[in-house]
Amino acid sequence: MRWRGRIERVLALVRGRRLDRELEAEVEAHLEMAETDARKAGLSAEEAWRAARRRFGGVEQMKEEHRDRRSVRWIETGVRDFRIAVRTLGRAPGFVVVAVLTLAVGIGATAAVFSLIQGVLLTPPPYKDPEQLVLIPSARTDGQQQESPRPWPAAQWLEWQREAKSVQSIAAYRWMFNFVILPDGVESFEAMAVTPEYFSVVGLEPVLGRKFVASDTAPSAAPVLMIGYELWQRSFGGNPDILGQTVRVGRQDAPFEIVGVMPPGVRFLPAPNAAQEPNYDVNALVDIWAPFAPGSDPKDLKRPRWNVIGRLAPGATPERAQAELALITARQAHADRDFAGFTPDVQLLTSEFNRDGERILLPLFGAAALVLVITCGNVAALLLLRGLGRQREYAVRAALGAGRAGLFRQASTESLLLALAGSAFGIGLALGAVRAFKLIGGQAIPRLDAVTTGWPILLFGLALALIAATLAGLIPAWRASRLDPNEVLKGAGPKSTAGRGERHLLRTVTMAQTALTLVLLVGAGLLIRTMINISKAPSGYKTSHILAMTVTSVEGDWSDFHHRALDRVSTLPGVRHAVYAWGVPLTGNNWPARVIIEGQPVPVRESEATEVPLRSITPGYFELLGMAVTEGRDFRSNDDDDAPQVAIVNKAFADRYFPDTTTLGKKVWLFGPDRAPSKIIGVVANSRTDDLTRQASPEIYMSFWQTRAYSKHLLVRTEAEPLAMASAVHAALREVNPYAAVEHIKTFDQIRNDSLAGRSFAMQLLVGFAAVGCLLTLVGIYGVLSLSVASRRHEIAIRTAVGAKRRDIRNLILFDGFRLIAGGVAAGLAGALVLSRVLRSFLYEVEPNDPATLFAVAMLFIGVALLACWPPTRRATRVDPMKTLRCE
Amino acid sequence: MIVDMSNEDMSKQRTDVPYGTLDLLVLKTLETMGEMNGYRIARRIEQVSGDALKLSQGAIYPALIRLEQEGWIRAEWGISETNRKVKFYSLTKAGTKQLEAEVQKWEQANALLARFLEAAP
Repeated sequence: MRWRGRIERVLALVRGRRLDRELEAEVEAHLEMAETDARKAGLSAEEAWRAARRRFGGVEQMKEEHRDRRSVRWIETGVRDFRIAVRTLGRAPGFVVVAVLTLAVGIGATAAVFSLIQGVLLTPPPYKDPEQLVLIPSARTDGQQQESPRPWPAAQWLEWQREAKSVQSIAAYRWMFNFVILPDGVESFEAMAVTPEYFSVVGLEPVLGRKFVASDTAPSAAPVLMIGYELWQRSFGGNPDILGQTVRVGRQDAPFEIVGVMPPGVRFLPAPNAAQEPNYDVNALVDIWAPFAPGSDPKDLKRPRWNVIGRLAPGATPERAQAELALITARQAHADRDFAGFTPDVQLLTSEFNRDGERILLPLFGAAALVLVITCGNVAALLLLRGLGRQREYAVRAALGAGRAGLFRQASTESLLLALAGSAFGIGLALGAVRAFKLIGGQAIPRLDAVTTGWPILLFGLALALIAATLAGLIPAWRASRLDPNEVLKGAGPKSTAGRGERHLLRTVTMAQTALTLVLLVGAGLLIRTMINISKAPSGYKTSHILAMTVTSVEGDWSDFHHRALDRVSTLPGVRHAVYAWGVPLTGNNWPARVIIEGQPVPVRESEATEVPLRSITPGYFELLGMAVTEGRDFRSNDDDDAPQVAIVNKAFADRYFPDTTTLGKKVWLFGPDRAPSKIIGVVANSRTDDLTRQASPEIYMSFWQTRAYSKHLLVRTEAEPLAMASAVHAALREVNPYAAVEHIKTFDQIRNDSLAGRSFAMQLLVGFAAVGCLLTLVGIYGVLSLSVASRRHEIAIRTAVGAKRRDIRNLILFDGFRLIAGGVAAGLAGALVLSRVLRSFLYEVEPNDPATLFAVAMLFIGVALLACWPPTRRATRVDPMKTLRCE
Repeated sequence: MIVDMSNEDMSKQRTDVPYGTLDLLVLKTLETMGEMNGYRIARRIEQVSGDALKLSQGAIYPALIRLEQEGWIRAEWGISETNRKVKFYSLTKAGTKQLEAEVQKWEQANALLARFLEAAP
């Protein structure tokens, strides 16, 4: 269609009336001329009048055609169809309420999960062209997993910076943790220590002040830092005069000057080697940046302590960068054996950034979409039923000249209207659901704090309405348009029955719903079994009645504070026992170390070293957690700086390294061969310290009084509810030292639940979705069978009349229902076998195709569904043959 | 009661003139005859085609409005022989071009068809 034609046609909508008048005038003139001609040909006045009109054809039809041709017809008819639809639906409020609320559930669930996806996965980090950024962690050349990925020595990445062509710029960074000292107490913060290139590599400009420059990193330079936008707003009230102000930082003498404020929304870059630190949270917003640069001392240059980020050169792929950097690194390793054994593992920042979110959100989105399809199924069935009731209306319309297209349009307009209303309510539901998700899902989904609800959820809701209208309305509308008015009007049957065709369609819809519900149920079942398996798994420690918090003395004498604080807390009424521990189970904390073990070969290269996580505890820690020391002894309070270094290992360690000899008395070098070794004085039972789903691996415990751990937890076993003691413990610590930082107060049970947050969030959502799907499908099955009974009354009556028993009728109908259910269940199980694989990473000790779960879920559903078949079956057995047959 | 009048049903009652052909006939008529009113165009088409076409004269008007909107013909008000205000239609430059293109398409299609029909068995 040409542009001009289009514009004219839209204009014609507005000028409709004038065009009609003009046409009228033309028609009159036309008829007059025709009459005149006919008169000239010798016809009488009356004959001429009639001939002119006959040859002209139907005037009204022509006018309609004229309007049709000249304008955008669909807008006009659309508006009219809409008005009719509103009026027709208004006459069936019950139907409308049920259909709209059903659709609202499906649309709401899908839109809610979508808004999480939008906020977490689709919102890119605030860097410039983030898809060009690559993280360059290390991997072992022998392919083995690293306990804690080794960062890079400056000597290596400085050479990459100079030589790599596929990477246009490279910056290095480290994760830092410290405390700011404020007049009213102490607050911890995570910080990024960055090389000055960081800003140009990631493409961030400060909103206020300046970036770091090379001179900021000189040893003699005055200490400076930049603060995050959020910290600026939160702690400094967005004060524009912030530049030049100073802050005091824990255990640093000189105050730091604030030189710049960063834009909002900047989060940490992953620093895998710091992941075991108690306060490491890669998804947090960065509050503080500090300048750093490698020194010129050759020994310093070789210390592996840097994480590296790079920006790909224009047109370069991650693969090319990987190949080039690996080549340079191999050359470095060849030249200096200290560098041997590690190779870069180039990864796109965006894929690393989204990995955890995708893992949980995509399966949940799929599940929500299934719920939407199931709700559409119900509404489709409702519409079909309603269509049956309106067959005569449709037939009359068709007989009066409404075309198939017109009937189709009318029926689809109604479903569109329902879907739009459903979407309005659904978006309301979704807004509530997102708030609920943010409350319960904080530990399960990274960067959930960034999720906001706005235009995207609205637009997505509208899009879903279109999809729902199509899914639910297409088949009913098609049925309406295929109606044969002759048959319907001749048949004049009662309204509550359906022919074979409709019944078949409805059965198909219900079967599809059953199949999808089964998929949801299997997913929920697998996750429930996972949670049960985890709760049954022997963790090796008790979690109840334990209060945990991080305690740090920012200033003053370390040993004095910790002794006095522990004594003070231990003697509080209601406290049974208190210990310090660095490396509390399920927090992810430990101290990854490359150790040398007596009797094991001493590694030549760094990459060959034995990695064992270290933990540091005070005496009584094992007793507090209910872990048994099976050999040797626990630490004593005099295992301190004045005593020889001692260590306790777990049974897994003893089994692996000393399978045939006694472990007690053996030596381990924890901090390299140059430092004194520790003597093993005890063996403790195994426990699942890192993760409840993972078997114990070798562990080493050190005496807290010999290690001076900076960050650590205080664990308190209480007599009553642990959180009730929190304020008393907090006050006691502050009494000992008003500058002590006391943070992250939680019960150990909470820590345990947080470690399972992803699974339990996925389980809660899937169970919810499955329950909704189940309910809707049961309603569907009930409806289909009821309709089937109503439509077969006649048949049932005849069967009864010729001698069928009640039992026969009951079996007939129940079997009908069973076939329907079993068909859906079979299809659903097949679907579940394929789809539940997406849950694999969440499952524990249960396979995605676990036969027991599949069987149990199928049986359970069939059982419940047969209950839904019972009322219609009863109705069938009550059919009175005399009455029914006489009515015909 | 709402009665829908969509194209589909009316096409059956209206005319057996193949869709789009009428446009071509109107354009050709205007090219040969120059400016004309609707009645004269309809008469002319009837006369030229004899009894071969089953066409209601009224069908000319939807075709005319469409051609006008496309910019292929132009309408001006004039006075009919019966002394009434009536629209006179004439071909525009774009219309002449369109006609040429249509005729050419038509001839090509015809030639192709003819070759096929001759080639049969």
